[in-house]
Amino acid sequence: MTFNKQINFTSMKNIKQFSFISVFAFAINVFLTSCGGVPEEKSSALVDEPVFSVDEVLEMVAKENDITRTLYTSAIVGQGKLQGMKFDEDWRKDDVEAGPLPALFLRGIATSIQKSPVPLGLYLGSDFPVNAANKFVGKQAELFEKIKADQKPQFFYEEDTKLHTAMFVDLASAAACVTCHNDHKQSPKKDWKLGDVMGATTWQYPKDSLSYKETVAILDSYAKGTLDTYKEYLSEIEAFVNSEKPEIGNKWPKDGKYLPTAEVFLDSVRKLTAYETMKKLVVVK
Amino acid sequence: MFKVSPLRKRQFLGGIIGLVLGISIFYFFTRKSSETYISLGPMNAGHEDLSCFTCHADAKGNLWQQLQSNISHAVGARKDGVDFGTQDVTLNNCLGCHDRPNDRHPNYRFSEPRFKEAVKKIDARTCITCHSEHHSERVTVASIDYCMNCHQKLEVENDPLDIDHKTLIANEEWFTCIQCHDFHGNHTYKVPTKLKDTIPMKTIQDYFKGSEDPYGTNKKYIGLSQDEWLKSLEK
Repeated sequence: MTFNKQINFTSMKNIKQFSFISVFAFAINVFLTSCGGVPEEKSSALVDEPVFSVDEVLEMVAKENDITRTLYTSAIVGQGKLQGMKFDEDWRKDDVEAGPLPALFLRGIATSIQKSPVPLGLYLGSDFPVNAANKFVGKQAELFEKIKADQKPQFFYEEDTKLHTAMFVDLASAAACVTCHNDHKQSPKKDWKLGDVMGATTWQYPKDSLSYKETVAILDSYAKGTLDTYKEYLSEIEAFVNSEKPEIGNKWPKDGKYLPTAEVFLDSVRKLTAYETMKKLVVVK
Repeated sequence: MFKVSPLRKRQFLGGIIGLVLGISIFYFFTRKSSETYISLGPMNAGHEDLSCFTCHADAKGNLWQQLQSNISHAVGARKDGVDFGTQDVTLNNCLGCHDRPNDRHPNYRFSEPRFKEAVKKIDARTCITCHSEHHSERVTVASIDYCMNCHQKLEVENDPLDIDHKTLIANEEWFTCIQCHDFHGNHTYKVPTKLKDTIPMKTIQDYFKGSEDPYGTNKKYIGLSQDEWLKSLEK
């Protein structure tokens, strides 16, 4: 009899413990699932199947950059100078009435990209930069020696910043590159020739592979950067007081004191880049 | 009729006190005039008129959801945790009002690998390295010889300065840089060519503490006021 009572007492205790654990587990479950929590952060539609490696995408955007820069340097800066237009590193200063030099044009694009949600970094450097602070050091200096030798892109992973990094050759592709750098009083090298390796662009991105949408977002942010910077140049012209303002429309500096509108400029960039970019975008994997 | 059991009087009294205290605390903390008491310290020069919410935006979701999400994250049931109460203040908060296309030292440039060593000494990738908030000052960086981290090899052709830059650098007179050049390059002013005409160090230090701007008032871009910032959000 006493034995039975003991069994009953023990099982009652177990049931109580079990009930307590069940209620506790239920409460935890309710706590963790009711309301649904704060929705998980997703880069919305950008999260897709990875299609391209980061190297492939950076090559694509670097190619667009090459074409854009060459067009700006030769058709705007080179031809513009022949028409008496001025280009200066201090182009943003109120007392300077000039447009951005090609390196500053690139920096404008890089700044615009930085403001976009796309985590892409773009920088320009050299071993003989006009501004000494832009001189390559460390790993970049080492890889730049290889680039100078074979003009091939260099890829590496930056352990400190956890960023996939690529460096691409920056050639003296227009006469304006050579003359400006040779004539610039701060330039540490005065014997540049057309086709010389003048420097390299460095690109950084945090992921090792990208979806179509992420790839297109990168290309878009670069195009928007071009548009933003070119528009800034046009608004500087608006504020010119002492200099003659070029006519802005469909014509280019080769035809006289003209400048294309931002849309016309970007349209020309697209015409020149579309084939190369599309060829890579539609490649069957 | 509502009657309190004599055995529950203490609990009842405690409940009432708790309720009154809770409402008072809630009322106090949510009033604009109380921000001074809640703040970690007085706002920096130029930020005196800002409300807390300008930088400290409410975090996503309600408190219950935030708590829930962070516990789920802690037990591995969720990939990322979330901000609790208010969102973390980031670089974008500063750039919301102070982003300038003419910044000669934009933060992003220092993410490039070649600035790796410099960033270890002074992390220019973020504003708070030099402009730590709630100190009632303008510039809070400990030492103003920071130019030395990147400009050691600077040489100026046809140097217009009476004591040229190369000599100043060789003599490690890094404190003189700021006497001519404002770091962000937003001021339009005539840079002196004689060292004796440069802005005295004491004036610079006072400016950093919050006094008048010795580089002049001719600026190309002015930081947004709170109202302007709010309007920019509507756009």
